Amino acid sequence: MFQRSLAVLGAVAGVCGLATACGSRSQSAHTASGSGGGATVVKIGLDAPLTGGLQALGLGMQYSAQLAVDLANKQQAVPGVTFQLVAKDDQASASIGEQNAAAYVADPGVAGVVGPLNSAVAQSMQSVFNQANLVDVSSASTNPSLTQGPNWKTAKTRAYPSFFRDITTDAVQGPFAADYVFKTLGIHSVATVDDGQTYGVGLVETFSAEFKKLGGQIALAQTATANTTDYSSVISAVKSSGAKLVYYGGEYPAGAPLSKELKAAGLNIPEMGGDGNQDPTYIKTAGPASNGDFATVPGAPLAALPSAKDFIAQYQAAHFPAPYAIYGGTSYDAAESIILSVKAALAQDGGKMPAGDAFRSQVEKAEQAVSFDGATGPVAFDQYGDVGSKVITMYKIENGAWDQGVYSGAFAG
Amino acid sequence: MSVTVLLQLVENGLVLGAMYGLIAVGYTMVYGTIQLINFAHGEIFMLGGFGALTVYAWIPGVAHLPLFAALPLMLLGGVVVAVAAAVGAERLAYRPLRTAPRLAPLITAIGLSLALQQVVSLWYRLPGGGNAKAPVAFPSFGGKAFDLGGVLVQRADLFTVIAAAVCMAGLAWFVARTRSGRAMQATAQDPDTARLMGIDPDRMIVVAFAVGAALAAVAALTQGLRYGQISFDMGFVAGLKAFTAAVLGGIGNVRGAMLGGIVLGLAEELSSGILAHFRDTAQYGQAWADVWAFVLLILVLLLRPQGLLGERVADRA
Amino acid sequence: MTALLNDEALLSVEALLSVEALHVAYGRVEAVKGISMRVLPGQTVALLGANGAGKTTTLRTLSGLLRPTAGTIRFAGQSLERVPAHHIVRAGLAHCPEARRIFPRMTIEENLRLGAFIRGNEDLGPDLRQAYERFPILGERHDQMAGLLSGGEQQMLAIARALMCRPRLLMLDEPSMGLSPIMMQQILRTVAELKDAGTTILLVEQNAQAALALADYAYVLETGRIVVEGTGAELLADERVRVAYLGEG
Ligand SMILES: Nc1ncnc2c1ncn2[C@@H]1O[C@H](COP(=O)(O)OP(=O)(O)O)[C@@H](O)[C@H]1O
Ligand SMILES: [Mg+2]
Repeated sequence: MFQRSLAVLGAVAGVCGLATACGSRSQSAHTASGSGGGATVVKIGLDAPLTGGLQALGLGMQYSAQLAVDLANKQQAVPGVTFQLVAKDDQASASIGEQNAAAYVADPGVAGVVGPLNSAVAQSMQSVFNQANLVDVSSASTNPSLTQGPNWKTAKTRAYPSFFRDITTDAVQGPFAADYVFKTLGIHSVATVDDGQTYGVGLVETFSAEFKKLGGQIALAQTATANTTDYSSVISAVKSSGAKLVYYGGEYPAGAPLSKELKAAGLNIPEMGGDGNQDPTYIKTAGPASNGDFATVPGAPLAALPSAKDFIAQYQAAHFPAPYAIYGGTSYDAAESIILSVKAALAQDGGKMPAGDAFRSQVEKAEQAVSFDGATGPVAFDQYGDVGSKVITMYKIENGAWDQGVYSGAFAG
Repeated sequence: MSVTVLLQLVENGLVLGAMYGLIAVGYTMVYGTIQLINFAHGEIFMLGGFGALTVYAWIPGVAHLPLFAALPLMLLGGVVVAVAAAVGAERLAYRPLRTAPRLAPLITAIGLSLALQQVVSLWYRLPGGGNAKAPVAFPSFGGKAFDLGGVLVQRADLFTVIAAAVCMAGLAWFVARTRSGRAMQATAQDPDTARLMGIDPDRMIVVAFAVGAALAAVAALTQGLRYGQISFDMGFVAGLKAFTAAVLGGIGNVRGAMLGGIVLGLAEELSSGILAHFRDTAQYGQAWADVWAFVLLILVLLLRPQGLLGERVADRA
Repeated sequence: MTALLNDEALLSVEALLSVEALHVAYGRVEAVKGISMRVLPGQTVALLGANGAGKTTTLRTLSGLLRPTAGTIRFAGQSLERVPAHHIVRAGLAHCPEARRIFPRMTIEENLRLGAFIRGNEDLGPDLRQAYERFPILGERHDQMAGLLSGGEQQMLAIARALMCRPRLLMLDEPSMGLSPIMMQQILRTVAELKDAGTTILLVEQNAQAALALADYAYVLETGRIVVEGTGAELLADERVRVAYLGEG
């Protein structure tokens, strides 16, 4: 109930253009009532697109993080501390994300933030978080430069000490897909389309580099926008390029119409995308012709992971109004990692909560050192803030639904 | 670049332009009668789409009809919803501000546009509980495209062009041949004198909003059929393009709106399609389509500030 | 024929239009300051005055385009102060506005048909024929855009358009304004013909000589007040009128 009213509030705030002002006011009200039991309230932020095209993914993130918080409270994971999830809707907009980040920083009760989904949004939030040493663990933003710096291909440097992520990067997703297309599918000529956003461009860049290295040909490289639904000019170019597959870097609201229009134009070639395409709505929109399309998703399929059994059971028992979707597992683990870091930071100080800034620095240190077995597998961060796991799964649409994964593996390079 | 590819781009441009034109008529008619840029018109278009989808998804049996049989019902639903919304907006939001400074109705229109988006996003429901916060699937024609010597004409394209032609012919007949149509023209040309003829300006304004909304609903149906989805925020870009088309054709001029739409559609598809075709310019293709559209607008306005078919703007003091 | 009626007969006839203590203001500036006037059926009444005296303001108030701040307007037994313009024309009060105001981007015939808007889908054939008989040039060019007509022709169209609703009272606001002397003569001749045909007319004119020659009765306005009134003949003989409006003295 509480999340829903926040989500509504977030949407309304978006309308007034006062996301920051309205949002923070409503939360301080909650702190007052929430801390009535004498326990210390520690807040964990969750920023994701809770409305708009990516809502299905965003709500999965929100409820999964909520589950981690609820379980921690029920099990008294940190004695004397009640955790509270503060969800904010970024509408997949970098500027709203930045405002949300500022609101989290301004609230001294916030110990860490889970999210966002979009790499471009993550990019705009990080300098705000970093200045305040506020930990942000993204469970969905996969652009490599977020952790490894803008020159990650040549010279990796940690961009933001406060930023972590527990999902494999596009540096792996793109090459993994290239490898699969060239070796497994035996396709050597590909057209690429991206949506001009950080995530989509990054995906296509890493895909193309690996594909060329293998000896494949990028017959055509096109850029569209994230809200394009009309691909007619792209499609006529794809047609004359002779490409046998279209690799799409972007999210499903624009990726699905591309598939639909490709097939309607008589091009019976598959579209392959990243995790941004892997959503049931993709199939609904693209229609029956989307059978045979592919998408990669970082990590092994949750349903197939023994470590995720508990998470899935608890999630279903909680009857959340939306499925956990593809980022549920990582969002649950991200929230869990922040809870553990808060615990470690408090333990260091003998259970007392240090004042504002000092506390956040300690949580940041603890986050870097965190190590536990999460729903998606072992979670521990390297010197850039990335998780160790490099597993990716290739999904395919069969009979009008995403299959259970045609191939799962680590990308060796 | 082959002739077939070029012709395909022309076909795409004509279809896209026909859709822009259908929406642009609403901007131009309302502007013509009360000099208001109805920024919420894009959302009226969007509501038309949801009205049509509602008939398809909620009325038992419609989804099981062959699409061509369901279309008239969906169209009716779309038109009813769009017209009701537009007329309601006029009555409740714009009419009370008729004598207020120009900025007041303009800001109201922008606010209304955001509000309508949020209303659909928050409260629209599909059978089975799905909502409209993300794009929702729209029925589309099965079956193959028509192949005219290599140029593909999608079934939805054909529907779009025929619908636009019928609507424009109907509109031309209405404006030029009916008593109400002439009264509307009169109100646009000289509102005070029109009142002296016994014409109720309020009624003409309602007619302008209603006719514009009905055509926008037709456009929304074609949008849904072509792309297989509609979304609560689709009115923004479509509205901006259609507004551009209306200005391009000469705002206030109904034939100009259609011409502006088609010129804009062709310019967008041809510029982006040709650029997309060559390796060196591919990056300036689809992603830059909107840029080329606005470059065209600026060029036309530099050479003909009143738009392609527009009259002198300072016609009335 | 009205010219034959004597004063006693006039008093016994019920006025078609009667205005009492009419005040009209633009914002806080009062343009009409309490005028009273009457138009009897069949009469031609002239409203004279210099530029800015308030003549146009008065006519626009009578036809409902402006709202009076005080006073009463009775037309054919009906109060008009609160009636919207598009209903007033239905009561039979036609207003041929200053500067003609034809619809320039419509044909002549469309303009005429709009003049008969209140008559719905009635057959307008006879009325159109009559208009074209009165002004043959309009008939010859009936499917041309009205904006292409000369000033005098536009005035003819404006008068013909106002007649299309078969009004009980025709208000003409400076029909001869800005016309060549020949055109002016022709328009004034038309007004005389309308009067002879029995049309009730309220005529605003700058050309006082011509107007007074036509009018059964006349009012002279000065900065929103009636300063002189009387029959056409009386005013033609009035010293003040001769000095101020007929350029004599
Ligand atoms: N729209 C207006 N706003 C303000 N003042 C006006 C307006 N129209 C006319 N006036 C003023 O009202 C007075 C009467 O004008 P008007 O009725 O046009 O005179 P006339 O027709 O006798 O020349 C003038 O002082 C004029 O300046
Ligand atoms: Mg005047």
